[in-house]
Amino acid sequence: MTRATRRIDVAQAATDLRNRTLAEIPRSLDRLIYLASMRDYNTGLYYHDGLASRFTQEVACEALADCHREAFSQLVGCSLRELVSQMEGYIDSTHTSPRDFVAAWKKLEPYRVAVPVETDPLTAQLLFSSFKIALAILEARLPSPPPQPSA
Amino acid sequence: MISLIFFLFVGVLLFLSLFLLARRNTRPEGSSSALVEARQALKTLQAGLLPLDLVKRVFAERDWEYVRAETPRSIHELFMAERKAIALLWLTEVRSQIRSLQRFHRGAARHYARLNPRLEVELAMSFAALTGACMALQALVYIAGPYAAPRMVSVVANVAARACEISQQSLSFLDTARLGALGGQPTDAATL
Repeated sequence: MTRATRRIDVAQAATDLRNRTLAEIPRSLDRLIYLASMRDYNTGLYYHDGLASRFTQEVACEALADCHREAFSQLVGCSLRELVSQMEGYIDSTHTSPRDFVAAWKKLEPYRVAVPVETDPLTAQLLFSSFKIALAILEARLPSPPPQPSA
Repeated sequence: MISLIFFLFVGVLLFLSLFLLARRNTRPEGSSSALVEARQALKTLQAGLLPLDLVKRVFAERDWEYVRAETPRSIHELFMAERKAIALLWLTEVRSQIRSLQRFHRGAARHYARLNPRLEVELAMSFAALTGACMALQALVYIAGPYAAPRMVSVVANVAARACEISQQSLSFLDTARLGALGGQPTDAATL
């Protein structure tokens, strides 16, 4: 397979992925987390059986990486207001209690492993910092916990 | 006693000069690794640090307006601290990459006869202006926060982008020259 043919295949696979799977995930935060979950932490390679069966494993991997970078750069381009709103939507979609979600994300910082490989460190730092601020805003908006019954 | 102090002083001086000599970069100027480093610095600046979208995001005032209008005071402090850290990191990175390019051009000017003197002078002036502007901006951001001098931020970003363009233009002949050298073909680029 020539390099040009391979690029065309990757572009087709990426379009296929956008039209079939990613079209149903409207928020870039959700897309980023979904695409990061397609990556094997040990090898850094992406796997998607459906896409690999229509193209090849290598082409599917590159297409997933392209879409991952795209979702990342869309999220970095979001304003803080948009990021907070996306996180609220994401919390709703996970059916987790907002308090538990904020506590877990503050402690585990799962967004740190959702960054594409070869991301510029400053851009990654900017996004991590925005997540930190967004989590603080969401925490401040949580209703105060009900008073503990006295013994 | 006086002679003892004198010899001790001379000894310390010798030790210091040896230490400084040992710390000096011993890599030959104009070497391939220096060229790779300069290319990497150019790439980092052009693709990683200077894209307008990124600069706008780092210094986005509408984020601050949102935080000020819709969040409690404790968030204001966190926001300012976080954005200040990112802004300072951006400036430090820009300065460091510019320094790396500047180092390469200083070395290259002595080694390559095909460099355009007019471009090199323009570049030297841009580097000097940038270093000064970056230092002033760093001090301003450190003292007054990331939104202290928005016009200066765009000036720094524009001058840095222009310096990258000139550097790229000035070094364009090296690509073909190095490729020729790697292929074992004679090259006249590295004329001493």
